Amino acid sequence: MTILDGAINHAYTVTDISMEENIMRRLESLGINSGARLLMMNRKRNGTVIIKVRGTRWAIGRDIAVGILVCPVEEEMSDGHN
Amino acid sequence: MDIIRVGFVGNPNCGKTTLFNAYTGANLKVANWPGVTVEKVEGETSYKGQKLKLIDLPGIYSLTSYSIEEKVSRRCIMENEVDVIINVADASALERNLYLTLQLLELGKPVILALNMMDIVEERGMEIDLHRLPELLGDIPVVPVSARKRSGLDVLLHAVVHHYEEKHRPEIITYQKEIEEKIRLLEQELEQQYHISENSRWYALKLLEQDQEITELYPLDLPKALDRSYEKDIINQKYDYIEEALEDTLFYKSEKAAFTDRVDEILTHPIWGMPIFFGIMAVVFFLTFFVGDGLKGGFEVVLETISSGVLHMLERMHVAEWMISLVVDGILAGVGGILTFLPNIFILFLALAVLEDSGYMARVAYVMDGLMGHLGLSGKAFLPMVLGFGCTVPAIMAARTLEKESDRRRTILITPFMSCSARLPIYVLFADMFFEKYAMFAALSMYFIGMAVAIIAALLIHRVETHRSHHTLLIELPEYKTPNARTIAIYVWEKVKGYLTKAGTTIFIASIIIWFLLNFGVHGMVTEVSESFGAVLGQWMEPILAPAGLGMWQIGVALISGISAKEVVVSSFCVLFGVSNVNSAAGMTALTGQLAEVGFGPLNAYCMMLFCLLYVPCAATIGTIKKETGSMKFTLKMLAFQMVLAWLVSVLVYQAGSMFL
Repeated sequence: MTILDGAINHAYTVTDISMEENIMRRLESLGINSGARLLMMNRKRNGTVIIKVRGTRWAIGRDIAVGILVCPVEEEMSDGHN
Repeated sequence: MDIIRVGFVGNPNCGKTTLFNAYTGANLKVANWPGVTVEKVEGETSYKGQKLKLIDLPGIYSLTSYSIEEKVSRRCIMENEVDVIINVADASALERNLYLTLQLLELGKPVILALNMMDIVEERGMEIDLHRLPELLGDIPVVPVSARKRSGLDVLLHAVVHHYEEKHRPEIITYQKEIEEKIRLLEQELEQQYHISENSRWYALKLLEQDQEITELYPLDLPKALDRSYEKDIINQKYDYIEEALEDTLFYKSEKAAFTDRVDEILTHPIWGMPIFFGIMAVVFFLTFFVGDGLKGGFEVVLETISSGVLHMLERMHVAEWMISLVVDGILAGVGGILTFLPNIFILFLALAVLEDSGYMARVAYVMDGLMGHLGLSGKAFLPMVLGFGCTVPAIMAARTLEKESDRRRTILITPFMSCSARLPIYVLFADMFFEKYAMFAALSMYFIGMAVAIIAALLIHRVETHRSHHTLLIELPEYKTPNARTIAIYVWEKVKGYLTKAGTTIFIASIIIWFLLNFGVHGMVTEVSESFGAVLGQWMEPILAPAGLGMWQIGVALISGISAKEVVVSSFCVLFGVSNVNSAAGMTALTGQLAEVGFGPLNAYCMMLFCLLYVPCAATIGTIKKETGSMKFTLKMLAFQMVLAWLVSVLVYQAGSMFL
């Protein structure tokens, strides 16, 4: 799933980033990289989201958001127990 | 050492400028970095007799070469323009801020970490182990400060003076074995081929990241080591290191719901977000126009007193007639007319500064993202437009933060339609003269028409350009904070100083030139204005401007002179019609009377305001557009577009208006 499918006030872990090289590197250097935990804060109808990663809030447009692949934090934890 | 040069480096919104201002106050030297329009701010201070030169580098998130700001900062540090770096970090968002710290440490320069916003850390119930943290960062000095409360400032300077020569270990992080081997190989090669022994680790890392600038500067033919970009790996391992380090040093005593999140629930609300924004802008304009106008009255009285005082003095001193005319009709009329608008300008910039410093401005990008999406632009493009209400020059520079070149150009194209503060005197002058009690509405309508034109222009370009819409917004939403009085005072003072300087230079000179054009003709000094150079020049433009109801030679002259700076339209008008204080009731009646004689009524005045809103921006803006786009062709095309548009709109309004009125 991508963060676009995320629910507000739920936590997710970034599993992969897939988009244009330049923007991907920018995101990663901002700490939005694989393994990072994020909290979905808000979402507009047009797909723009607000997320909180590593203590910082970011507003991210749909075309970028769609390239941020995530899984819910609980799921990851239950995977770990298996 | 004679003087220690200290570079302030930090993330945007980390309070770096507030800290910088805490040391330097308003004694700043603002210039541009060579070749680019990135601001270079310098100041001086001293600590126990040691002089320090402080350089505020642009706010950056990392040291790659993706943005101009990052390149400028990197070059400044690499080319030994600073002796020591103060890395300002927002302690309440340490995880992200330390990423830049790690990169700075790899550069090898002495670094002192200033942990800013420690008060917020405490408020949130967090605790940072200040003994353990330096150990994890190569034993650099770590100083907790609060720029807002001005605490820890001396300790930080103490650290600078005592540690500015201290090199730290360049290897803070040990990367995975594969990368470390490559680094060693590259370091050897760099030393052999380019004799780089200092900071070689940093260069090696940049080569592995396939950094464009470094790869071009120091090309190495080592396919074995440089088989692909290791940027992703390097970034991830830095963040892994930070995560581990913070597990050891950062403790949450109690998790408190952040104040910012509660405020954001309202201000970025899906439905209420936009009305709230428009409400805030309405308040800003109310303050600018209504409150500002009240204060303007006081300024006018002062100006009138000075003007008549000078006139009497000069007459008593038996100064030559032409000299009196130059001082009173030229300089005082021109420059003085502009100075009375200072209260409006002051309030406008004060409001913009508060919006910016409180952290609200970034939310505007989010709130407006939906609407801007319909125009094929991201919400971030709206920020230059809001800044455009202040001054178009920094607004156009702000377009740089947009990710895509095509978006930047479109934003630059529409930003001048946002009425800048220099156009405000024009609106107020004509509205006050011709619209009496509806004056404020007439002036305000210019702001809305400007926005409408910007939106329509963006929409048309979006329709013509075939590629689909991009939703590529990426912007940090900083913590809300109480605006810092000092930061705002310095910001507003810089703007007011700029306005005063412009009045003293550009407008001063323009007023003299206009006075000269009006008082001299081919046969020397003239008594009849119609024989002057100005009249000849203006008459040539009359037929072009006539369909817009602006067929007066004086208007032609005023419009041309307005390209030097928009306020000059007003000062020229004062000089052209020989009204020493156009804002006073008497001056205004005199001018209205003169204009009415030649059939210039409210409709003509409205068309004049429209034309001034839309026609070519001032010289400083044109220069900035050229510099920011790097294209003369684009700049010229844009000027032609604005000229034609201004003419078409004002002609349309005048012709349609004449039919009904």
